[in-house]
Amino acid sequence: MKCPIKTQENADVLLAYSARKLDPEITAVLAKHMEMCTECAAFHKGQQAVWAALDAWEALPVSEDFDQRLYFRIDRERHASWWSKVAQVFLPSRLSFFGRTSQAGMPLPLLATVCIIVVAGFVLEYPGRVNPLDPAPQARIDKIEADQVERTLEDLEMLREFNLVSSAEGKPSASM
Amino acid sequence: MGAAAALDYDAELMLRVKDGDGESFALLLKKHRSAVIHFLYRMVQNRAIAEELAQDVFLRVYRSRNTYEPTAKFTTWLFRIAAHLALNSLRDGRNEWKQEHLDDTSEDTPNRQLPDRSPSVEYRMVSEVKLEEVRQAVAALPDKQRAAVLMHKYEELEYSQIASVLNCSESAVKSLLFRAYETLRARLAHMA
Repeated sequence: MKCPIKTQENADVLLAYSARKLDPEITAVLAKHMEMCTECAAFHKGQQAVWAALDAWEALPVSEDFDQRLYFRIDRERHASWWSKVAQVFLPSRLSFFGRTSQAGMPLPLLATVCIIVVAGFVLEYPGRVNPLDPAPQARIDKIEADQVERTLEDLEMLREFNLVSSAEGKPSASM
Repeated sequence: MGAAAALDYDAELMLRVKDGDGESFALLLKKHRSAVIHFLYRMVQNRAIAEELAQDVFLRVYRSRNTYEPTAKFTTWLFRIAAHLALNSLRDGRNEWKQEHLDDTSEDTPNRQLPDRSPSVEYRMVSEVKLEEVRQAVAALPDKQRAAVLMHKYEELEYSQIASVLNCSESAVKSLLFRAYETLRARLAHMA
C-alpha cells in the first residue's frame, strides 16, 4: 500500500487508525505497514500521545443557573417592546460604542440614532407640519369654524386677565 | 441507524419548537448544553465567556425557530452557530485579558476536577502542569484549526459536518486537521 504519511491526502487514514475508527481489514493492512515504516509508526505513537493528552483535559461543570439565565433572556426578549425590536433590526446587538450593550439591550447613542431616524421619517411623511428652515410660520386658515374663533377669543381674554400673553400678542395658532 | 434516529429526533424536536412547543426546546437544551459549553470553553478557555457564548447560541436557536428547516443535521447547525460565535469572539479579542490560569484563585474559577488516582501533592502538580501544557498547545493553534480539532476530537463530528460548520470543503478540513495534529504532536508527543 502507499505510505499514508507521504501523501497528505491519505493522512486522515492514519488519524482514523490511531483513533481505532478504521475497518478491521484496513486496520490490519496498516498495522502490517507500520511494522516496516518508521515514519508511520512514529506518527501513530505521537498521535496516541495527543489523544491521551486531550482526553486528560476534562470539561468543567456547567453552572447551575445556566438554564435559568437563558430562559430569563428568552422571556425578556419575548416581552421586548416593538420599539426595541425595530431598533434591533437596524442595530445589531454586537454594535456598541462602549463595547457592551445597555441593560435595555441598546446603548443611548444608538437609541438617539433610532430616534433621529423615526423623526426624519415623520418629517418626510408630513412635510407641511414641521419645517425648521422657515422663519415664523404663517398661519394659513383655509377653513374657519365660527365656534372655533369664538373659543379662541375666549381663551385669549382669559390669558390677558392672568397677564400671561406672550410677546407675539397671542396670534391664534394653526392647530386651533 | 442509531445515529440517523438521533438526527431525526433532534430535528423533530426542533420542528416542535417551531410549532411553539417549549418543552421540546428544553429537551434540546438539556441534551446539547454541555457539549456546546465544553466546545466553547476549550475554544476560548474562559468559563464565563464560554457560558455567555453558549447562551447566545441557544438564544439564536430559539430565535430561528420560526424559519428552521432540517436541511442539515441538528448538531451541525448547532455547532455552526457555536463555532461562528466562538471565532467572532476570538477575533474580537474578548478573552485576551480574561484567559484563566491554573493559579487563579478568583471566585469565578471553578474547582478543578483532577483524576482521583493518588492523593500525593507531586502527582497533582504534575497533572496540573500537563493540563496547562495541553491548554496552551490548543490555545496556540490558529482559530480554525482549533475549532476543527475540538469538533473532531471531542464532538466526534464527521469531516462533512466540520466542513459545513466551518463553511469549507472536506479536503480543507482534512488539511486543517493534518496541520493541527502535526503541531500538537510536536508539542505533546513527549507526554507519551
